[in-house]
Amino acid sequence: MEPNILFYIYKLPVSEALLWTWIVMAILSIASFLLTRNLEKIPRGAQHLVEAAVDGISNLVSGDLGPEGKVFVPLILMVTSFVFLSNLIGVVPGAFSPTEDLTTTVVLATIVFVVGHVAAIVKKGFFTWLKGFFEPYWFLFPINIVGEISQVLSHSFRLYGNIFGGGILLGIVYMLVPYVLPVPLMAWFGVLMGAIQTAVFTMLAIAYIQMKLE
Amino acid sequence: MMEIAIIIASIAIGSGIALLAGGMVGIGEGYVAGKAVEAIARQPEMEGQIRTTMILGQAISESGAIYALAVVLLLIFSVVLPLLGRLMELL
Repeated sequence: MEPNILFYIYKLPVSEALLWTWIVMAILSIASFLLTRNLEKIPRGAQHLVEAAVDGISNLVSGDLGPEGKVFVPLILMVTSFVFLSNLIGVVPGAFSPTEDLTTTVVLATIVFVVGHVAAIVKKGFFTWLKGFFEPYWFLFPINIVGEISQVLSHSFRLYGNIFGGGILLGIVYMLVPYVLPVPLMAWFGVLMGAIQTAVFTMLAIAYIQMKLE
Repeated sequence: MMEIAIIIASIAIGSGIALLAGGMVGIGEGYVAGKAVEAIARQPEMEGQIRTTMILGQAISESGAIYALAVVLLLIFSVVLPLLGRLMELL
C-alpha cells in the first residue's frame, strides 16, 4: 500500500497523511493558543473546557501512576487530543485521518514506548532496568523482548485497524448507497468508534507506562 | 494466467476463513455485555463505572479481530489489486 503523494516541496514528497497531520497540528496549536489567553481564577466560558480536559486526564494519570505521575500529563494530553482530532477529522468528506495511515499510529506507540523505558531507566537506574528483562528466570529474556515489541505492535495496530477498517467500510457504502445511509454510519464509525478508540489508546498508554515503572 | 487466478482465489478463500475471527469476538463481547447487565441489575448505582469498564474490555478484545482484518486488508491492497489489472488484460 503506497502512500498517496500529493505534491512535492523542493523534491521532498508530501503524502496525504503528512498534509492532514499538518492540518491537525495547526488546528490544535491555534485552539490551544486561543483557549489559554486571559486565564482567570474563576473560569468563564471556554476555560471550562480546558479545565475539564486537563482535570480529567490528570485524574486518570494520578489514579494509575500516583502523585509522581504528574510529569506524564502533557504527553498523555498530547496523545489524546491528537488521536481524537485525527479520528474526528476523518468524518469530513474528502478528508483523510492521519490515523488511517500506519505510520502515524506506529509513531505514537513508539513515542509512548520510548518515554516509558526512559522513565524506567531514570527511576530505577540503568542496570536495575536491564536486570528487569531477566526476571523472573534468566532464560525468559527473549520472551520479555518479544512481549515488549508486541505491546508496541498491538497498541498501534488496534487504532490503525479500527479507523482504517471503518474508512474502508464507509467507502463501500458510499459506492452502493450514496444517499442517506452513510450519515448514521459516519456517526457510528467516525465519532463513536473514534472516541472509544481514543479512550482505549490513552488508557493503554497509561497502563504501559505504569507497567514499565514498577 | 493460471497462477494469477490461483493466487487470487486462494487469497479470497483465506480472507473468508480469517474473518471468522469476528464471529468468535462477537460471542465473547456479547457474553461480557450479559455479565455487565447482571452486575447493573445487582447494583444499579454503579452503572457508570460498569459501563465504562465493559466498553474498555470490549474494545481491547475486539483488537483480535482487528488484527485479522488488518492482515486481510494488507493482502487485498498489496497483492490482489495489482494482480487484478494484469488478470483483466490477459482475459
